[in-house]
Amino acid sequence: MNLTFFEWLQNTPIAVLVGEDWFPWVESAHVVFLAAVAGTIFTVDARLAGLTSRQLRFTYLSEKLLPWTWGAFIGAAITGGLMFIANATSYVGNTPFLIKMGLLLLAGVNMLYFQFVTFRTVQAWDSGTPIPAARVAGVLSMLVWGGVIGFGRWIGFV
Amino acid sequence: MDLHQFSDWLSATPISQSIQITPWAIPGIQTIHIICLALVFACALVLSLRIAGHGLTSEPLAQLAARFTRAIWLLLVLLLATGLLLITAEPGRTITNPVFYAKMTMLALVIVITLWLAAVARRQFERPSGLHVVAAVFGMLLWIGIIFAGRFIAYVESN
Repeated sequence: MNLTFFEWLQNTPIAVLVGEDWFPWVESAHVVFLAAVAGTIFTVDARLAGLTSRQLRFTYLSEKLLPWTWGAFIGAAITGGLMFIANATSYVGNTPFLIKMGLLLLAGVNMLYFQFVTFRTVQAWDSGTPIPAARVAGVLSMLVWGGVIGFGRWIGFV
Repeated sequence: MDLHQFSDWLSATPISQSIQITPWAIPGIQTIHIICLALVFACALVLSLRIAGHGLTSEPLAQLAARFTRAIWLLLVLLLATGLLLITAEPGRTITNPVFYAKMTMLALVIVITLWLAAVARRQFERPSGLHVVAAVFGMLLWIGIIFAGRFIAYVESN
């Protein structure tokens, strides 16, 4: 691992500012954004898994909620990035942090597979209970995002 | 018995001790607490948006409010249970901490607002007044305040 890059990152004025003064505020904002991201994703996933909101079409629910998910995700990524640079040298060797990043990648892969494969047949299962592949995507997404939150919380305990 | 004595007594109880000596217990309980918080935040967001005339407008407000307030109450029970476990594990961190009481005050306020909006929604209003919208927005601000206070408990010294 090239530590000098992360050392440089950690010594940039903004990283120093976050590390010395802003950290609790940035972290709290991160929790607000993650609540919006995970809460809306879980709501859409639960519909996808056939558990809740069955009276609403899946495409209707996701069209109404996912813009909020993406908006909040940008906020979570920015605040997460600010926290990362404040302690970059220790986060790159922090196992829960690395697992969290891996799970975020997995969530992305799950979403892309769903979007480009399973979602193509959405008209057949938009109302009522979704097909098994869609339900698997919903359950998998809930598990992965639960893991993102769990390992995210664990970062501070290592 | 004052709060400090109560705090010392609580942290010496077997349940508190067993949470304290289990390494994954506190982050594990906090994770469940945060997942429930995320869901309650999303439910409050959907309900508030609907009251402001946006979001899930395809079903009557009374029906949507009934579904989402039911979820909010259930999640609040889970948040209370996990919150009580966290207080039991580390009473010195919370029950003598002013930020914890700020959080509980905001929580009480948001519960009153949600009860009121749910009661009003049950009377089938389809054109919420400006006051309802203001209450819904204020409720979301309170949820954000609750989240900030929850995190700041870790940063503000207990008395």
